[in-house]
Amino acid sequence: MDPNLTTIDFRLYAHWIMLLPMIGFLLELLIGKYWWRKGGMFATLSILGSMIISYGCLYNVYVQELGFWEYSWDWFYPGIVAGFTIDPLSLAMLCMVSFISFFIHFYAIGYMSHDCAKNVYFAETALFTGSMFGLVLSNNLLQLFIFWEMVGVCSYLLIGFWWHKPEAAAAGKKAWMSCAVGDCLFLLGIAMMYTIMVKQGITSEIISFNNIFQNLEHLSHEMIFGMSALTIICILFMCGVLGKSAGFPLHVWIPDAMEGPTTVSALIHAATMVTAGVYLIARAFPIFLAAPNALMIVAFMGAFTALYASTLGLVVNDLKRIFAYSTISQLGYMIAILGCGAVLGVAAVAFALFHLVAHAFFKALLFLSSGSVLHGIGNVRDIKEMGGLIKGMPWTGWTMLAGALALIAFPFTAGYYSKDKIIEEAYLYASVHDPGPLGYLPWIFLVLGVILTATYTFRAWYLAMTGEPKSYPAVHPHECGFWMRTTLVVLAFFALFLGIITGGGTKFWHFLEETFVHETHTATGIYPGLDLHEIGRLGGNTLLEHGVHHDIPAAVIYLPLLLMIAGLAIATMVYYKNRVDVSKYVKKDNPLYQILWNKYYLDYLFKDIIAEKIIMTVFTFWDVLDRYVIDGVVNLMSWITIQSGQVSRKLQTGVVQNYATAVIFGVSMLMILVIMFRGGL
Amino acid sequence: MIPLQYYLLLAGILFAIGAYGIMTLSNGIRLLMCVELMLNAANMNLVAFSTHINDASGQVFALFSIALAAAEAAVGFAIILMVYRLRAKIDIENIKLLRW
Repeated sequence: MDPNLTTIDFRLYAHWIMLLPMIGFLLELLIGKYWWRKGGMFATLSILGSMIISYGCLYNVYVQELGFWEYSWDWFYPGIVAGFTIDPLSLAMLCMVSFISFFIHFYAIGYMSHDCAKNVYFAETALFTGSMFGLVLSNNLLQLFIFWEMVGVCSYLLIGFWWHKPEAAAAGKKAWMSCAVGDCLFLLGIAMMYTIMVKQGITSEIISFNNIFQNLEHLSHEMIFGMSALTIICILFMCGVLGKSAGFPLHVWIPDAMEGPTTVSALIHAATMVTAGVYLIARAFPIFLAAPNALMIVAFMGAFTALYASTLGLVVNDLKRIFAYSTISQLGYMIAILGCGAVLGVAAVAFALFHLVAHAFFKALLFLSSGSVLHGIGNVRDIKEMGGLIKGMPWTGWTMLAGALALIAFPFTAGYYSKDKIIEEAYLYASVHDPGPLGYLPWIFLVLGVILTATYTFRAWYLAMTGEPKSYPAVHPHECGFWMRTTLVVLAFFALFLGIITGGGTKFWHFLEETFVHETHTATGIYPGLDLHEIGRLGGNTLLEHGVHHDIPAAVIYLPLLLMIAGLAIATMVYYKNRVDVSKYVKKDNPLYQILWNKYYLDYLFKDIIAEKIIMTVFTFWDVLDRYVIDGVVNLMSWITIQSGQVSRKLQTGVVQNYATAVIFGVSMLMILVIMFRGGL
Repeated sequence: MIPLQYYLLLAGILFAIGAYGIMTLSNGIRLLMCVELMLNAANMNLVAFSTHINDASGQVFALFSIALAAAEAAVGFAIILMVYRLRAKIDIENIKLLRW
């Protein structure tokens, strides 16, 4: 290999980004137990390898400007390929996933040090990381779906990693079932896409993204049940997204998923897997753009989820679940801004991805620091039993503060640049978009989410970190060790300064805005070169002209900031200064509190009504039918056979004379018959 | 020269006696003897027809048949001997273990 690293074209090795963690998975599973610290080395090193290739690709594309890349080979069936794609969209995800995953593995070396099945844990996280890379790199829908399911399997395995706890086993099952609802519909959408592509007479690369994008004009004429086929497909895709990215109403599994190890919550349920849904919409963005009304549904679902989840975060007392609800809420922000792409075009993808990356840093940080808290005070998770922890664990406390500031979009942190831009652009969407006053709803939801986010985040931080210890374990917390502390500091640095490093996000946005529309074909690059304005017109979406400046009132720009400060002030007054006593509202007889405490009765609806009443009733009927009718017919058949056997076997006497008599009698009768009918022998 | 009908009548009577014995007797040795009777009735037919149509091949066939009968009798008596050693009886009605 050439010693000069700058001459390597890392893009040709993109498949190794996915394969290295898979190899790490096998090594960890088979021989990891007998190596360094009984597990962890192979997984961490293989992901370091993936990270090097990912950043090499980023260097090739961003600095050397070698161009995007895509390669594929025939798979099991003509027309279905296995392929890998390198463009700004996948690069942003790859670099984020490999970086976060590497540092979470690094952290887990310390966090999981007392666990007896460490190599299994690391094997599963390595498999997860490899599958996530595969998902991001896929250039076609089927491959993406396979990896989509694989990350779901890893999520199931890791949530239930401490399977001996019944809650953990149940949480894993719940996560799998909730996602499966969305995934079935997603698969149906892929099948429909395949069908209408074949109808166009396309025989090669049938469900590759680029091929679909090139044929959108023909596809947009396809109708199913009087609706545009593309809209139905996009709604089905959206169902998959709601399952995986925890959108309303399929988000119910995320809070329960906190039963897994905290590193898993950080890796899978905050930074990477749950963003797969956002990534799917971003990757399939031109399809959504060409489908009438699809993006409007996306915007409304996202914005509603953002507000909905943040109201729930206000009343939960479990430290990890507070952050789980904030994850749902932030994913809602990303999905909402993608929906606003109906006006903003590819810029919406850039804004969503920037928030995704920023969110990955600060939310991974928040989870890891709460993991450090749990580690330090013996797995107490109720914030009402913490208090004053910052004295005992300053590193954890201050890095958690950094994460919390980024989450509430405090000025100059990463979240400030990413989230405030989303809210501004949502206002722009409303002011330009056709539907009129209804178009302001996503913006209103998102803005209201800001004040709630600030309140619940700092409620958690103040209750856990300041004041007096409220339980025995919280009196003497012990600070985390080298592995965990290093990770917290690195993530805190990026949570605070990611926005500033990327020039307030502008560098990131400009890079991402190239994704679908880059047209200059070069010798070293492969580009889709789509005209998104034209594609938008197919779906009745009029995109803003690029570079045209739209005035947004100053009040709108500063509103999120003011609301954030208001939320922070509320949290400070109530939970730090104790000026306001909320205990008269926070009671079980307050109906509003009751609703929030019971999570809008959604768990009740799913489990007690849909699962236990409706489905169980249907199954009871089916059980009776099965037991008495279907089984009855089968049993009757066997009963008849047995009984007739019982009777007829008596014919076999076992006495030779009887057989001889029968033979002689039979032969005699035969001869008599022959003589009678033929008149002679 | 004895006419063919007498031979056939004698063979028929022998065969009928053998068949009757097989259907009614239970003693193993008697049973075998009845089988031999039936076989020899058939042999007698072969020889009678052979002289009737002046062709020696029927008689040769009868010789083979007698050799076969000897072998069959040897096997049959060996089985019956084993049964006698096992049960001290040679009534074949007792040998019906595999019935049901």
